[in-house]
Amino acid sequence: MQRVQADVVVIGAGGAGLRAAIAAAERDPKLRVALMSKVLPMRSHTVAAEGGAAGVTRDEDSLEHHFHDTVSGGDWLCDQDVVDYFVAHCTEELEQLERWGCPWSRKPDGHVNTRFFGGMTIQRTWFAADRSGFHMLHTLFQTSLKYPQIRRYDEYFCAELMVVEGRVRGVLAICIATGEMVCIEASSVVLATGGAGRVYRQNTNAGTVTGDGMGLAFRAGAPLRDMEFVQWHPTALPGSGILITEACRGEGAILVNKDGYRYLQDYGLGPVDPWPRAKAMELGPRDRLSQAFWHEHRKGRTLETPQGPVVQLDLRHLGAKKIHERLPLITEAAQTFAGIDTVKQPIPVCPAVHYTMGGIQTNVRCETPLRGLYAAGECASVGIHGANRLGSNSLVEIVVFGRVAGESAAEYVRATPQPVRDLSALAQAPAERLRAMLDRREGERLAVLRDAMRDSMEEGVGIYRTENGIRATCAKLAELRGRYRRGVRLDDTSRPFNTEWLSAIELGFMLEVAEAMAHSALERQESRGAHMRLDYEARDDTRFLKHSLAHYGGDGAPRIDHRPVTITKSPPKERHYGGAGKQAVLS
Amino acid sequence: MNTYKRSMAGWWQRNPFYRWYMLRELSCVFVTAYALVLLLGLYRLVQGPEAFAAWQAALAMPGSLVFHLVALVLVGYHSWTWFKIMPKTLPRISLPDWAVVTGGIGAVIAVSAALLWTALG
Amino acid sequence: MRSIAIECLRYHPETDRAPRLQSYDVPFTDDMSVLQGLQYIKDQLDGSLTFRWSCRMAICGSCGLMLNGKPSLGCEHFLRDYYPGPLRVEPLNHFPIVRDLAIDQSDFLRKLESVKPWLIGEPPAKGTHLQTPRQLDEYYQYSQCINCLLCYAACAQYGLNDKFTGPAALALLHRYNADSRDHGKQERMQVVNAEDGVWGCTLVGYCSEVCPKGVDPARAVNQNKIESTKDYFLRFLAPRKGA
Repeated sequence: MQRVQADVVVIGAGGAGLRAAIAAAERDPKLRVALMSKVLPMRSHTVAAEGGAAGVTRDEDSLEHHFHDTVSGGDWLCDQDVVDYFVAHCTEELEQLERWGCPWSRKPDGHVNTRFFGGMTIQRTWFAADRSGFHMLHTLFQTSLKYPQIRRYDEYFCAELMVVEGRVRGVLAICIATGEMVCIEASSVVLATGGAGRVYRQNTNAGTVTGDGMGLAFRAGAPLRDMEFVQWHPTALPGSGILITEACRGEGAILVNKDGYRYLQDYGLGPVDPWPRAKAMELGPRDRLSQAFWHEHRKGRTLETPQGPVVQLDLRHLGAKKIHERLPLITEAAQTFAGIDTVKQPIPVCPAVHYTMGGIQTNVRCETPLRGLYAAGECASVGIHGANRLGSNSLVEIVVFGRVAGESAAEYVRATPQPVRDLSALAQAPAERLRAMLDRREGERLAVLRDAMRDSMEEGVGIYRTENGIRATCAKLAELRGRYRRGVRLDDTSRPFNTEWLSAIELGFMLEVAEAMAHSALERQESRGAHMRLDYEARDDTRFLKHSLAHYGGDGAPRIDHRPVTITKSPPKERHYGGAGKQAVLS
Repeated sequence: MNTYKRSMAGWWQRNPFYRWYMLRELSCVFVTAYALVLLLGLYRLVQGPEAFAAWQAALAMPGSLVFHLVALVLVGYHSWTWFKIMPKTLPRISLPDWAVVTGGIGAVIAVSAALLWTALG
Repeated sequence: MRSIAIECLRYHPETDRAPRLQSYDVPFTDDMSVLQGLQYIKDQLDGSLTFRWSCRMAICGSCGLMLNGKPSLGCEHFLRDYYPGPLRVEPLNHFPIVRDLAIDQSDFLRKLESVKPWLIGEPPAKGTHLQTPRQLDEYYQYSQCINCLLCYAACAQYGLNDKFTGPAALALLHRYNADSRDHGKQERMQVVNAEDGVWGCTLVGYCSEVCPKGVDPARAVNQNKIESTKDYFLRFLAPRKGA
C-alpha cells in the first residue's frame, strides 16, 4: 500500500476545507498540508449555495443584533459563547474573501452591498448575485493554488480514520481513478466533508452530500451532536429538489397557496402589512416556513402536481430588470428545470431537506473530543445553529471556522510533534474489508437499500414527527443496516474508477448517520426549531434545553445522551417573528 | 494509468459547426486567389493595352467564369462570417454586438452596390 | 411510459483495448434529465457504468458529456428532447478517457494553474477594495465559468494540439486581468503571448456556442490577441527596465 506523509490532512475541499488548508499553510508555511476530496474542489457542494453570507457592516447593525437573531433563530439551542465568537469574526472573513478577489455585489459607491435574509433583523447578507457560494468557492480554490505547501489529492475517497492510542494519526483513502489504496500518515486531520441531506429522498443536495465525515468520526468514537435538527428549505422545485434561493424572498418574492393567499400570515408571521418587514412573512426563518407548508398541505390548500404538493413563489411584481440583475441563476434554473419564466409565472415550490444543523461535536476551536481530529463546516456542530440555522449563516460559518480549524490543526502539529508512524499494518484490516466489498456476488442492489432508507426517513423523521413514526424508522434503519452488513451485490467488481463501490461505502455512512438522526429525534420529547413533534408540541426548556449526543453503538443502535447548552447573555424567550415592526427597505 | 486517446481523424466531418468553420477557412483561399487575379490585371494594365486586352479575354473564358462564380459565393460567405465574429475580436466599445455585425455587413453591401453601379453605368 | 435507447460509450482500462458502445433501454417521464437516465441505468440495469455528477443543477460542472456529438451538461438536457432516440452518450471529446464516460481532467487543472488565477498586487491591509458596479461588470461575465470543460471538448485546436492553453483557462486569465483590483497583467503576459497561448486560437468559436454559462471564452481569448500585439510592439518602442 502506498504511504504518504503530511502534517495536516484536510478531508473535503469545499469552502471550509479550502479555508482550513489555506489557514494551516499561512499559520506555519513549513507544514505539509494534504487536501483530499472525493471530487475536484470546484465540484464541492458549496458551489450550489446561492443566497449569501452574513456579516455586520451597516451602521444601524451590531454584533448584538446578529447574535440575537442567530440565538433566537436557533431556538436557544446555540452555545452562546461560540455564537459570540462567530458574529465577531464574520465580517473580517468576508472582507478577506473580497481581498482574495471574491466578486461581491456592490453599491454604486463601490462598497459591498448587503441584503435582507430570513430571520435577520437588519440587512447583513453579503452576496455575489445569486451565486454567492459559487463565487466564494472558486475564489478560495483559485487562491489556494498560490500555496505550494498545499498538496491536493483530487478524487481520493477517504474511507477510514487511523486512530492510534486515542489519537488520530492519519487516514486510509482510495485513489478513485485507479482504485488503489493509500495511507496518509499525519499529525492532525480536519474533517470538512459537508452535510448528510442525501439520507432523505427529497433534498436540495448534490450526490456527494452523504455524511462521510460524520460517519468516519462517529465510528472512530467522536459523538454526533444535535442530529435530530434537519433543515427543510421551504422553496425547492418539486421532484428534483433543486434549490430556489432564499435570496428571492430577500428581494421581495411572496409565497401563496392555491387560492393565491399569502398563507404565512396564519402562522404567526403576519400581519401582511406594512410589507416588507424583516423577520416577517416571507422573511421569516426556514423552519417556520417549511412547517407552514406542512399545515397548508394538511388543510388541502396546496396545489397538486405530478411531483407532489406545491405552493407558489411569485416574483412577477419585482419586474424583469431586478429579476435578471439580482436573481439570474434561479431564473435560469426555473426555466431549465421547471419550464417557468419567472418574469411571467410564479414558481412551484415545496420544502426539501437542505441542511444538517447537527454534526461532529466540536468546541469553538473546532476540536473534536478525539485528539488530533478537527471538524468545520456543515459536518461539524460547533454550536452556532442550534435547532434551526438562519440563511446566510452557513456560508460565513465555513470561512470563520474553516480558518479556526486550519489554525488549530496547525498549532497542534507544532505543540505535539510526533515521530512518523507507519500505519500500513493498522490499515491492513480496513483495507481488506473495503476490498472484500468487491467480491460480493449475491445480495441486494444498492439502490434498493438506499431508496428504502430515504423513504423511511421522509416518513418517520420528516418535518413533523411522532413517536410511532420515529420508532418505525429506527426499526427500519436497523433492519437496513443488517441487510447492508450481509452484503450489497455490486455489478462492478473492478478497481479503476468504480463509483458503484464508492456509493456502497457512502451508503454505509448514510445508514449510520440516519440512525443517529432518528434516535436523537426519538429522545427529544419536545418541539424546538426544526424538530417538530405532533405528540410534544411545546418547547420544554426544563427537560430539553440540552444538546443531544449520539454515541456510536457498533452494529447496534447509537446511545443518546444530553449535555447542557451554554447560555450566557440571552435566556430563552419565545421566538417572535412577524408582528408589528418597522418596514424594511429592500435595496 | 491506461487512458485511451481518441483519434482526431475526420474531426471536422463529425459536426456541422466544424464543417461550416472549414468552409470559412477554405474561403480564404479564394479571397487570396481573387486578389492575385486582380493584381495580375493591374500588372497587365501597366504593360500596355494589348496585354490588358488579353487578360480581359482570358477572364471571359468558361473556366474563369466558373472560378469567379465560386469565388463570389465564397468571398460573400467570408465577409458574412468575418463580421459575425468581429465583435469577439474588438476591445470593449460602447456599440452592442448586433450593431457591429449589421454595420459591417451593411457597409459591404453598400460598397458592393456602389461598385456595381459604377461598373454597369 | 415511453422508452428511449441510450447508447453509452464504454471503456475499461484493464480489459478493453478500445472503447465500444453499449445500448440500454430507459423508461422516462418528461421531466427526466439525461443524467437521471444514466442514474436509472446505474441503479437498475448496470451498476458498472461510470460517470461523474454532483449538483444536478448546472453549477458544479461535473456532468459534461457528448450528447449526440455535442458537448452538453447531462443535468440540463432532457430525454424527451432526444426521443425517439437512440441517444448517443460519450465522454467529452479531446480528453483521454479514464473509464466509460469519465475523462482525465489533469491537463485542464495544469492549464488552470498556469494562468495565475488569483489577485496579484498589494491588497488593502484591512477592509475591502472599492469596486463600482461598472468595474464589476468589466469582468463579471468571465467569472461565471464552472470549469465544466465543454469548451475544451468543443475546441478543435485543443483537440489537435493539447498544448494549447485553451478557452476556459484563458477566459479565467482575462477575468483577473480585467478585475480592477488586480495588477498582474504583466505577469500573465507570458502565458498570453505564447504560441500555445492566445495565438493557438483560430476563432472556431464553438467554445462560446456550447458554454452553458455565457462566459464567451472566444471573446476573452481574442481580446487578448490585441493585448498581446500591443505588448509585442511596446517592447520595441518602450522597453521596460530589466524587461
